[in-house]
Amino acid sequence: MIARLSRRLLGGLAAALGLAAAAPGFAAPVNTGHIQADLIAQDSWAVPGSTVYVAVTQKIEKGWHTYWRNSGDSGEATSIAWTLPSGWSAGDIVWATPHRQPTGPLMNYGYADTVVLPVPIQVPAGAKPGETVTLKADVTFLVCADICIPENAKLDLAVEVRDEAPEPNWRTGRTVADALAAAPKPAGLDAVFQASETGLKLAVIGGPLKGGQFPDAYFFPFDGTLIDHPGKQTVEAGPDGLTLTIPAGIALKSGQVPEVVEGVLTIGDQAFEVSAKPGQPPVGAAGLGVPAARAPSGDGGGVPLAILFAFLGGLILNLMPCVFPVLSMKAASLAGHAHDAREARTQGLAFLAGVLVTFLALAGALIAARAAGQAVGWGFQLQSPAVVGVLSLVMLLTALNLSGVFEVGTSVQGAGQGLASRGGLAGSFFTGVLAVIVAAPCTAPFMAPAIGVALTQPALGSLAIFLFLGLGLAAPYVAISFSPALLRRFPKPGPWMDVLKKVLAFPMYGAAAWLVWVFSLQAGSTGLAALLACGLVVAFVAWLFGLSQRQTAPRTRWLAGGAAILTAVGVVAVMIPLAKGGAAPTSGSAAAVTSAELPSEPWSPERVAALQAEGRPVFVNFTAAWCVTCQVNDKVALSTQPVVDAFKAADAVYMVADWTNRDAKIAQALSDHGRAGVPLYLVYGAKGGDAVILPQLLTPGAVTEAIEAATLR
Amino acid sequence: MSLTRRLLVAAAPILSLAPSLALAAPAPAFSVKDADGKTRSLSEFKGKTVVLEWVNEGCPYVKKHYSGNMQALQRAATADGVVWLTVASSAPGEQGYFADGGAAKKWAVANKAAPSAILLDPEGKMGMAYGAKTTPHMYVIDKTGQLVYQGGIDDKPTNKVEDIKTAKNYVAAALADVKAGRKPAVGVSKPYGCSVKYKA
Repeated sequence: MIARLSRRLLGGLAAALGLAAAAPGFAAPVNTGHIQADLIAQDSWAVPGSTVYVAVTQKIEKGWHTYWRNSGDSGEATSIAWTLPSGWSAGDIVWATPHRQPTGPLMNYGYADTVVLPVPIQVPAGAKPGETVTLKADVTFLVCADICIPENAKLDLAVEVRDEAPEPNWRTGRTVADALAAAPKPAGLDAVFQASETGLKLAVIGGPLKGGQFPDAYFFPFDGTLIDHPGKQTVEAGPDGLTLTIPAGIALKSGQVPEVVEGVLTIGDQAFEVSAKPGQPPVGAAGLGVPAARAPSGDGGGVPLAILFAFLGGLILNLMPCVFPVLSMKAASLAGHAHDAREARTQGLAFLAGVLVTFLALAGALIAARAAGQAVGWGFQLQSPAVVGVLSLVMLLTALNLSGVFEVGTSVQGAGQGLASRGGLAGSFFTGVLAVIVAAPCTAPFMAPAIGVALTQPALGSLAIFLFLGLGLAAPYVAISFSPALLRRFPKPGPWMDVLKKVLAFPMYGAAAWLVWVFSLQAGSTGLAALLACGLVVAFVAWLFGLSQRQTAPRTRWLAGGAAILTAVGVVAVMIPLAKGGAAPTSGSAAAVTSAELPSEPWSPERVAALQAEGRPVFVNFTAAWCVTCQVNDKVALSTQPVVDAFKAADAVYMVADWTNRDAKIAQALSDHGRAGVPLYLVYGAKGGDAVILPQLLTPGAVTEAIEAATLR
Repeated sequence: MSLTRRLLVAAAPILSLAPSLALAAPAPAFSVKDADGKTRSLSEFKGKTVVLEWVNEGCPYVKKHYSGNMQALQRAATADGVVWLTVASSAPGEQGYFADGGAAKKWAVANKAAPSAILLDPEGKMGMAYGAKTTPHMYVIDKTGQLVYQGGIDDKPTNKVEDIKTAKNYVAAALADVKAGRKPAVGVSKPYGCSVKYKA
């Protein structure tokens, strides 16, 4: 800013003194209407037999733009016709990194604000020291806002020839040197492409791309017919680079495959020139999945901050509605052995182990699935109806166990002491496992950005983050079980514990019922009937098993046990085809998770853009039937009267992106906002622009405020 | 996005053919009102060669070619039995929008334009179906309804009138090839010009 100001002052001063024509390397800027153009030099003088860089600068009026060498769908690149002294010759423009300029359904590539376009000028060896030559550039710009205007500037620059080492021009040298330094260069990247009528796959590996995550990577081809310019470029990260998948342009669509694909690859602030040959993509250019966009809150601190967030998120997870029924189990067992300090410690550690092992297994599966290129996120296991079905049966079994229908690892005599016995160790471990599995549908505050970061890290970093999530979840129980003072506050064991246990069975029945409902959305009513039948059989088997435990005569015991096993085998035989057939999602699921009061429409990015263009605010609810936090938010915030009124008043549109079943588009949108799971609430302003992300726990006040604010944005 | 999808749909038949065929997709059907208020559709021109020209009277590139080049092409083509349809896909309020058929005809008279018809497509439906990106953006459809050329009007993507003299006119070449019963030597080129001012 200061440099520009002083440049302007000095320029003005020089012009005022009438030095403009006399000073070497100096020309007056020309205003062509929407552009102020100038011709400037890097060095103070030209040396015979060398190359000097001069640059055309464009100061473009706000709201207008000029074009890159490939102008995209429309437009025209800036061109320069040189008139040079004999022997002098001009090279090609060194193009600055372009920007994307969406115009309606089209996409152009070019520049706004200010752009500097250097050109190498070859000085002949025979140039006479002491003479001053004039370089003349006839520059044609197409400058467009909504409409396009061809503008023309005749620029000239007086350059003195001297036979001494070049010195940078004190006034303009920096500007040209910076433009040259910033221009995209090859940077030792290896690139390979595969082209078909549907699209272009461009795999790039090399130093600057190693181990990085570049969700914003974008390829600007030199050839204007190669790709579909407005098409989405999908990024896949790899250990050594990245792979872009780009929809085909008209040349590729008609089968014209080039021998080489050249262009500029941008990754955030950096840009590189790429020249790709046809062939097999190198192994290191893919395999790490779609990189998540930078997390809104976790990106400054990277992994350490994400670990901290993960721990906090794990702690808060204890309070979330989905984990609660499982934790009630844990509470029951804690109460049972509260007065045996050693036993309590062992139980606490077993629970911790259960939590950690499950978290790591889940994280491993998640990382593996993403590495295989699947668009999965947190809670992905609940997108499989088979998993949900089995889980609902596990919940039912757990509830029946708490109800006393059968006992795990102990006999029916002395129910209270039984829990504290040796078999309870496996029970504690199992409780930990269950806690994590059902925790998945809940993303607590802090957890979402942490998981978002985790999925962008190499495996080790993300495992560390998941480990701390588990530590956070288990921490309160481990802390209690290691604190004799706290344990002493628990009442003494007695018959009350049996009552408590039976009361706590009911949250588990509730959890089972909820999972059955989720399953019905995924697998439809036929699947539901089969699952309910399975539930009936499971309950019957549990009762038979309980009966066998209660029998004193070995023969009847054996009979009941055998019947239990036979029935269990029957259940498995029914479940397998069910799990396979149940994968077909029902179309009604989107409607089912929305509230009755707030009319909604299914989410699509195109529809959001269209509504924004109409000037209407849009609220997008990324949700899933298995996401308890989402359901709670729907009930306590989104389907309340004030919110419905606020939507009406603002003429806002409520959109639901339902992730109950797998959906790559939704997974991508979540990842674009640094998330790996639901819920996510986005509010788009009426005047366009980016969305605001609402907190994960909604209140009616927060939603109405956000909607009101959106009408003004 | 939807443009991409439409283009893919339009291009889908190509995919089953050998990649050496430059371009041989059936041209997308359309049904659009012309300047006289008559509904015109592709099917009525069966058996005739059809040229589609996207226009925006305010665009410098259109002005460049309406310095005489476009009109001459129109006259030569229509004299040869070719149907020449000039399409305006500018949305209301945008540059190049004709408020009614009268405005379009007034423009044509003032510029001595000689198309077979001017089609008014303010909703952009026909433009999107063809993936028209620029003004001018040219398409040639042969007698069997196959799209055999699409792209720029010539190979000099500038807005300077003097470049017309030295440019190779792709449309004239494609029409000559079609007339001689050949596939156009150049079936695809990069269209150039102003963006089509579609409804936002």
